[in-house]
Amino acid sequence: MMEYAELHCLSNFTFLRGASHPRDLITQAARLGYTALALTDECSVSGVVRAHVAAKEQGLKLIVGSELRLACGLKLVVLATDRHGYGRLCRLITCARRAAAKGGYHLTRAGLDGLDHCLILWLPGEPARAAEARWLAERFPGTAWIAVELLRGGADRERLETLRRIGRETGLRLVAGGDVHMHVRSRRRLQDALTAIRLNVPIAQAGSRLYPNGERYLRERQRLGRLYPPELLEETVSIAQRCVFSLDELRYEYPRELVPPGETPATHLRKLTEEGVRRRWPQGIPSSERAALEHELALIAALRYEPYFLTVHDIVAFARRRGILCQGRGSAANSRVCYCLGVTAVDPQRGAQLMFERFISKERNEPPDIDIDFEHERREEVIQYVYDKYGRARAAIAATVIRYRPRSALRDLGKAFGLDPGQCARLAGTMQWWDGGEALTQRLREAGFDPDDPVLARLLPLARELSAFPGFPRHLSQHVGGFVISAGRLDELVPVENAAMEGRTVVQWDKDDLDALGLLKVDLLALGMLTALRKAFDLIDRFRGTRHALGALPAEDPQVYEMISRADTIGVFQIESRAQMAMLPRLRPKEYYDLVIEVAIVRPGPIQGDMVHPYLRRRQGHEAVSYPSDAVQDVLSRTLGVPIFQEQVMRLAVVAAGFTPGQADQLRRAMGAWKRTGGIGHFRDKLLSGMTSRGYSEEFAQRIYRQMLGFGEYGFPEAHAASFALLAYDSAWLKCHEPAAFTAALLNSQPMGFYAPAQLVRDARSHGVEVRPVDVCESDWDCTLEPMADGEPALRLGLRLVKGLSGHGAERLLEARRPSPFASVQDLARRAGLERCDLEALAAAGALASLSGNRHFAFWDVAGTERPLPLETPAAVAAEGAGSQPRPLLTTPTEGEGIVADYASLGLTLARHPLALLRAPLHGARLCGAGEIARLGHGSWVRIAGIVLMRQRPPSANGVTFLTLEDETGQVNVIVWERVGEQYRRALVDSRLLEVHGRLQREEGVAHLVARRLIDRSALLGQLLTRSRDFH
Amino acid sequence: MRAGESADLFAPDVPERPARPVPRKTVTPPRPVAPAAAAQALCAELWLGVQVVVGEAPPAQEPSSALTRLATLALRLTPRVALAPPDGLLLEVRGSLHLFGAVEGLRREMHAACEQCGLRGTLAFAPTPLAALTAARAGQPLAVLDAAQLIGRLSPLPLTALRWPPRLLERLACIGVRTIGQALRLPRAGFAQRFGAAQRKDLDRLTGHAGDPRERFEARLRFRRRRELPFELDSRTALLAALGPLLAELEQFLEARQCGVLTLECRLWHRGHRPSRSTLRLAAPLADARRLEELLAERLGALSLPAPVHACELRSGLPVPRVALSGGLWQPGEQGGSPQAGAPQLIERLRARLGSEAIHGLACAQDHRPEAAWRATEPGERSGEGPGACRCAASPLWLLPSPRRLPERGGLPRYRGGLRLASEPERIETGWWDGAEVARDYYIALDSHGRRLWLFRERSPPHRWFLHGVFG
Repeated sequence: MMEYAELHCLSNFTFLRGASHPRDLITQAARLGYTALALTDECSVSGVVRAHVAAKEQGLKLIVGSELRLACGLKLVVLATDRHGYGRLCRLITCARRAAAKGGYHLTRAGLDGLDHCLILWLPGEPARAAEARWLAERFPGTAWIAVELLRGGADRERLETLRRIGRETGLRLVAGGDVHMHVRSRRRLQDALTAIRLNVPIAQAGSRLYPNGERYLRERQRLGRLYPPELLEETVSIAQRCVFSLDELRYEYPRELVPPGETPATHLRKLTEEGVRRRWPQGIPSSERAALEHELALIAALRYEPYFLTVHDIVAFARRRGILCQGRGSAANSRVCYCLGVTAVDPQRGAQLMFERFISKERNEPPDIDIDFEHERREEVIQYVYDKYGRARAAIAATVIRYRPRSALRDLGKAFGLDPGQCARLAGTMQWWDGGEALTQRLREAGFDPDDPVLARLLPLARELSAFPGFPRHLSQHVGGFVISAGRLDELVPVENAAMEGRTVVQWDKDDLDALGLLKVDLLALGMLTALRKAFDLIDRFRGTRHALGALPAEDPQVYEMISRADTIGVFQIESRAQMAMLPRLRPKEYYDLVIEVAIVRPGPIQGDMVHPYLRRRQGHEAVSYPSDAVQDVLSRTLGVPIFQEQVMRLAVVAAGFTPGQADQLRRAMGAWKRTGGIGHFRDKLLSGMTSRGYSEEFAQRIYRQMLGFGEYGFPEAHAASFALLAYDSAWLKCHEPAAFTAALLNSQPMGFYAPAQLVRDARSHGVEVRPVDVCESDWDCTLEPMADGEPALRLGLRLVKGLSGHGAERLLEARRPSPFASVQDLARRAGLERCDLEALAAAGALASLSGNRHFAFWDVAGTERPLPLETPAAVAAEGAGSQPRPLLTTPTEGEGIVADYASLGLTLARHPLALLRAPLHGARLCGAGEIARLGHGSWVRIAGIVLMRQRPPSANGVTFLTLEDETGQVNVIVWERVGEQYRRALVDSRLLEVHGRLQREEGVAHLVARRLIDRSALLGQLLTRSRDFH
Repeated sequence: MRAGESADLFAPDVPERPARPVPRKTVTPPRPVAPAAAAQALCAELWLGVQVVVGEAPPAQEPSSALTRLATLALRLTPRVALAPPDGLLLEVRGSLHLFGAVEGLRREMHAACEQCGLRGTLAFAPTPLAALTAARAGQPLAVLDAAQLIGRLSPLPLTALRWPPRLLERLACIGVRTIGQALRLPRAGFAQRFGAAQRKDLDRLTGHAGDPRERFEARLRFRRRRELPFELDSRTALLAALGPLLAELEQFLEARQCGVLTLECRLWHRGHRPSRSTLRLAAPLADARRLEELLAERLGALSLPAPVHACELRSGLPVPRVALSGGLWQPGEQGGSPQAGAPQLIERLRARLGSEAIHGLACAQDHRPEAAWRATEPGERSGEGPGACRCAASPLWLLPSPRRLPERGGLPRYRGGLRLASEPERIETGWWDGAEVARDYYIALDSHGRRLWLFRERSPPHRWFLHGVFG
C-alpha cells in the first residue's frame, strides 16, 4: 500500500466548515496508517495544540499549516517547515485577521511577502486558472505545488489532465490532497448542516452550495491508491518530510524590561522581597518564616520564574498607585514571596500551611498561575496599562472557545432545518438549563413537538453530535482576563486576532492550549466585591474621616462572627448564598480560619464527597477526631481529619500513598476531568496500593479515593479560599459596623453579588438603617450618606437607581442644581436642559415628589415642560416658568400603584411589601406568612405564598431545585425534589408569585420547607394594578 | 336593445336573494354624507356603531372582506354606511328607526346580518359616530338617543376604546387618567399641549363639539349582463356577434373604474338543458373588448353546445385595478415593437386552448439531485437564479420521469442489450434532509446503437442499477 500524508485537512476550528474535532482527525489518520497529517484550518491555528497533544499520544506526525483564500480568489494551503516558517505563518494570519472584523480575515497577494520557510499548495478553482499557477511558480520557486483533489465529481480524469498540463507549463509539481472536512464519511450530514448554518439558509435551500457527496473524509490508503497516480501520493510523503516543525520547539521567554539595569531578575526579586519583609514584619521576621521564604525563593530561582513574579508585582504596583483595590489568589499568590510583594494580604501564618508546590513544582516545567482580582469597574484601566506597557505585539488576551451546547445546537439546527423562529425558540427551550438528556422526549412533547417526527429524527442525532462533549467550537471569544505576555513578538508564537470588543485582541489559543505548551498567563479578573469595598471605604472616609484599608480592619471581631453565625450575611462576600447561609448557623465560625473552611465547604466537591457532615459532627464534638497516622494528622488536623481542600487531597496522595508533588498535580488534573475523560483508573491502583503498603487500612484508602472522585472538578483550593475569606471578613465587618455605608457601596457597585437592590435595601432597613428616597433635590448619582439628627448616617438612594435616566442627563441635572435649588419641574427642565425621556424617567421613579407631589402630578408637570428656545432670556423663562396654568384635578395613585411603579423604575420600594397588600386574599386562602414559620415546629404542614427571589438547581444536587420565597414578613427557603418539580414544572419555572404546600424541616436552627405542591399565583400580582384601576 | 334584458345592470356584490326585500324607501339617490357641520346636526343624527369579532363559524373570506360584506348588507338599513376598519362599521340610522322597529328592531337586523357574515358584533347607538363606535369598541351596547346624556354615559368608558397610540395611553395612565370622563375633565389647553391637538379634537368629535365627516361606503360592483336573443343561435360566429354589445359594455364599465378582469364567465342558455358555461382566466387584468372577444372565440370553439342558444350572459369576477398601458405604436413583431408584450398573449391563447395546467415555465433549482435540479414555475415568473446556478457536470437535458430499474448481468447493467460504461463515476450523496436521500454513482453508458445513456448505481446494497436519462 502507498504511503500517504494528508496535507489539506480542516477541523471544526474552521468554524461551521470542518465537521470533526482535531483529536478525531488525528486518531483516524493514525488508524489508517497515514505518514503525517497537516491540520490546515482556514486562517487559523486554533486547533493545532489539541491536535499536537493527540498526535503525540498517537505517535503521528503533525504538520502545522493553514488554508487561505486571498481577496483575489487565489486559494492556498501554507505549511510551516520549521520554527521560522511557523512564526512567519503566524504573522501572516495575524495580519490577515487584524485587517478584518472579528471572525473574518483579509489577505492580498502582497500580504504573502515575507512568507518563507513555508511550503505552498495551490488549490486550483473550477476551472483552474493557469495564471495563478504561473504567479505562484514565479513567487515561490521550488516551494509551491499544485494540489490535486479528486473527489469523484464525475470529471476527475479531465481535471487531473488539466492540472498536469498546467504543471508542465509552469514547472510546478503535482501532489495529492483530500480537502478533508471530516474524519469519517458518516459526518456528511453534519457537514451539510454546518454549511447551511454558516450560509444562514435552510439546508433545503442551500442547494449546490453543499458538497455533492461525502468524499471529503480521511480516505483509506487503498482507496487513494486506486484514485491517484502513485507519484502524486509519493509527493505527499516527501513534502511531509520537509516539514520538521513541532510545537514542542516553542520556547516561551518572559518579558525582561522589569529588571533595572545592573540587576538580574533574581537580585531584583530578592530586593523587592526584602523591602516587603521589612514592611510586613517591622519587628523582624520569625525564623520559621525566613526559612520558608528562602525555600520559595530557591524554588523560584531553580525554575527561573523570577520574571513571572516581577510581572505580577508590576501590575499590582500599578493598581496600588492608581488606588485600585486588588488581591491575588492561588497558592503561588499566597506564598510568602507574594505576601512580601503585596500581591496578597493573606498572612501565610494565619492561613496555615499553603502548598506552594501545587503551582510551582520542579518536576513539571509548567508556569505558576496567579489570579489577580481587581475592582470590576476599574479592571479596564489595568488591562490598558498592560497593553501600553508591553505593546499589542507582545500582550494579548487568551481566547475562550465558545462551543455548541445542546441549546444552541438545537436553535441553530432548527433554523437550518427550516423551522420558524418560534419553533426554534421552543425547541431550544426544551433544553432548560437544568435538564438532562433523558427527559428530552418528554420535553419535546410538552413543547408541542412530535418526537417521532421525521425532521426531528434527523435533527436530534446531529444536535447530539454537535454538542457532544466538548462541543463543536462556534467562535473565539476573549477569556475573562487571561493575559499572555511575551518577551519577543507574540505574533510569531501564536496568531493574534481582533475580539468583538473595541480595542481588544485575543490570541488564537485558549487557556488549555497555553497550559499545554507552558506559556505564561496572568489572570486579571474582575471582582465586584472589591469595587464595593473600595466605595465603602471612601464613603466612610468622607462621612467620618476614618480611612480603612483592605485586610487592615480590626481583626477577629467577635461581634462580626456572631453576626455571621446568625446567617445575617446578605451582601457579605461569598457567604451570602442560600447554601452558605444554611451552613453558617451549624458551623458557627469563630475565627478567620473557620471562614476559610466555610468558603470551601459549601461547594459541590465537599458536598458530593460527603465531607460536610463528618466535619460538622466532629466540630460539634459528636464524633471523635482520629487520624490513622501522624503524617495524615499533619495534613488533616486543620480540618479535623476531614479533607476539605483540594491541596489536602493532593498532600494525602503524597504523604499516604507516596506520590511525588508532580504526580499529585497530575492527579488533580485528572480529578478535574475524570467525568469527561472516563476516570482516574490508573491513579486508583497506585493510590490504593500506595496507601495499603504504607499500612493504612483498605477502608481508609477506599474512603479517600471516593472523596477524591466526589471532589471531581469542584474541589476548592485552600489558597483561593484563604483570599476569599479575607474579603468575606472585611465585608462582614462593614456590614456589622457600617451598614449604611456598606449598603450604599453595594448599591453603587451593581450589578454584582447574589442579591438585588430590593433585598439589600430591605435588609439594611431591618438593621435600622434609615433609607431615604430618590429625590432630584437631594440625591447624587450614587447612593450617599446623609447625617441624621444623632450624627449617624442615613442612606440616600442615588439617581443611578432610576431606570431609563441617562448618565449625561443626570450629570446636567446635578450641575444645574449646584448654584440654587430647583423651584419647579419646569425650572428643573429648563435649567438642566433635560430630555423628555429623562424627565419621564425621574417622574416614574417618584424622584420629582418634592417638586410636584405624587406621580400623577409629576407626569402632568413633565408633560407640560417645553425645552427653552435659544433666544429666550432666563428672566423671561423665569417669569413664564412660574406656571400660571391651572392644576388639573388628578386622582392620587393608590398604594398598589405606587409600589408597582417603584418596582418598575427603581427595582425596589420603600413602601410596604407588595404582598402586604395582598395579605387579605392570601389570608382568606388560609396561607400563612414567612414570619409565622418561625413559630412552627419540625414536621408542620405549611401553606405559604411568596415572591420567588431565586431558583437554583446546582448540578451536584441530583435534580433538586432550591427556591427562595419572600413576603412582607421575611423569606422562606423551599426545597423541591425532582419528582415534585417534574409534576409542577410550569409553576416551578414560570411563577413570580408562588404558592407552596409542604412540610417544614427544622435542623440546627435552619428551616426549610419541603414542597409537595406548587401553584402559580402570579395573576394576583397583576391585580395590584387592575384593582387599583377599579377604584375610579 | 330589447325590453327583455335584465334590469340589474350593476348588481352589487351581494347574495343573489336578499334575506328580506329591500324597502324601496332606502334606495335614495346617492349623495355624500353631509359634512356634519356642528352641534345642531347632532339631534338630527343617530349613529349605530358596530364592532365585530370573528364568530364561531369562521367567515369564508378574510375578516376585512367580511366587513365589506357586512357593510353591503347594512346598505339595506340605511344608505349612510361608513367603514371604520379594521373591525368597525357605522350606520346613520335616525331615518331608519321607524322603518325597522326602533332601536330594538335595528339591533335584531344588524345582529342577523353579522351572523350571516360569520361575525359577532357589539352594537351601540349614540348621537355622534365616534361615540357610537367607541361605546361598541368598549363592549358597551349603549343606546344613547338623547344628546344631553351623551357625556354622562361616555364618561366611565376606558380610554383604550378610542384606540389612541399605546404610548399616549401609557402617558395618560401615568397621570392616572384611564377613562374618557377623566380625560374630558382635564383643562383643554393643557391637554392639547401635552397629549396632542388631534387627540383633543377626538374628544370634541366624541361629544359632538366638532364635526366628524365619514366617507360613505359604496358596494363594490361586478359586471353582470344578460341578453335574450331575438332568435335561437347555434353558430359560434353568430353567438360571438351577439356577445359583442355585452363585451363593449363590459369594456366601458371597466374603463370607467380603471379596472380589468381576471376571470370572465360566459353562460349560454338552452331550452331543456342546463346552461353551458365557459370561464376565461387571464394572466393580467384585461378590459379590452377585442382581446376578450378573441379569447372567448377560442373558448367557444372548444365548447360543445347541447342545443341552440336562446340567451347569453357575461359575469365578471371582481374588477382589479389595472395599470393602463398606453397602446404601442407598433404591433408586436413589427419594427421596434416589444416582443415581450406578445408573450402573455401567446400564453393566454395556449392556456385558453389547452387548459391552464398544460402551460408552465421552467427554472433551475439548486440541488445536486438531478430530479430536483429543476422546477415548474408560473409562466413569466422570474426564476431568480442565473443559468450559472445549474449543475456543471455532464447531465442530459432529458430525464426520465422517474429512474427506471435496469436488469444486470455479471454486475453490469443491461438496457436492450449490453451496455458499456463510458465515463468515470460522478458521486451524488445528498438530499437526506427531506426524506428523498440519494447516494448514487452516475455513469455515462453506451448502448449497442451508440446512444449515450445516463445511469446510476446505488451506493448502498444491493447496488441496483437505474437508467435516469438519455443524452440527445
